[in-house]
Amino acid sequence: MSIGRKLNSLPAFWLVLSIPAILLVRGYWTGDIIAMDMLHPTGEFSARFMILALIITPLSVIFGNRRWIGWLMKRRRSFGLAAFGYGMLHLVFYVIDMEALKPILAEFWAPGIWTGWAALMLFVPLAITSNNASMRWLKQGWKRLQRLAYAAALLTLAHWLLIHDGIGGALAHFIPLLLLELLRGIIIYARRNNDMKQQDSLQTEQVWRK
Amino acid sequence: MKYSVIAVATATFLATAGLSAPALATGKMSCEAGPQSGWKTRAELEASLVKQGWTIKKSKVDGGCYEVYGTTPEGDRVEAYFHPVSLEKLLVSRRGEILFRKK
Repeated sequence: MSIGRKLNSLPAFWLVLSIPAILLVRGYWTGDIIAMDMLHPTGEFSARFMILALIITPLSVIFGNRRWIGWLMKRRRSFGLAAFGYGMLHLVFYVIDMEALKPILAEFWAPGIWTGWAALMLFVPLAITSNNASMRWLKQGWKRLQRLAYAAALLTLAHWLLIHDGIGGALAHFIPLLLLELLRGIIIYARRNNDMKQQDSLQTEQVWRK
Repeated sequence: MKYSVIAVATATFLATAGLSAPALATGKMSCEAGPQSGWKTRAELEASLVKQGWTIKKSKVDGGCYEVYGTTPEGDRVEAYFHPVSLEKLLVSRRGEILFRKK
């Protein structure tokens, strides 16, 4: 295998996705970053990778069949699993920071907190079924199950908006996703309309011929 | 393909605008405490809180007040604001839920 192909392989890609985690955990280990300050970056990377996984389908609808879309499609699962991994890291540092069960329970129902728990809970079945065996086993159900990702995205957005001071960061990440989903919807709707019109005119033509 | 260019341009613009927004005061509390030369130090505040039974994770300046992240003597994990001159407790909140506000 050539070096170029090795660098472009999935394992190499996983390594790239784990670089922020490696740097962050090293920072915590050496004492440069306290647990509390691990929460924002781990959460943000989780949201980032989730958004990257989610924008690949809208991009493919917008740009059609391109090589770089295929490249991204092959990596969608990696992005999704990375989102889960960073989410778990986020949870681990939350627990370390809170130190005990009592304060965790005391704030559980704060709007900024339960939305985060709920998003992470939705990530679990998504991550568990992110493999070929699950795809074969669940058949059509797999796609339906994976659509939970959209609910997880909305909960993540709510969690971020509610827990963080200032909404700029959350909006900068989610507005591009929202716009791409909107465009995807418009394009699919326009195509469907076009198809129907073509069908209509075809039928009229046939009627006339008779 | 016109759509795609517009989408990418808008997304890029929004991302840049959002990411380059400066870190401002959070607006949760503000203190009119005069020049910093007249303030007590954060170390003094932390020492007095620890004496009262607090444990402290982190402290900083926000809105001209001292802001402290830590656990109260009652065991609540909170974010609290103090006046930098009098060191008086102004606001205690837990993830947005107000536990104490100076009358």
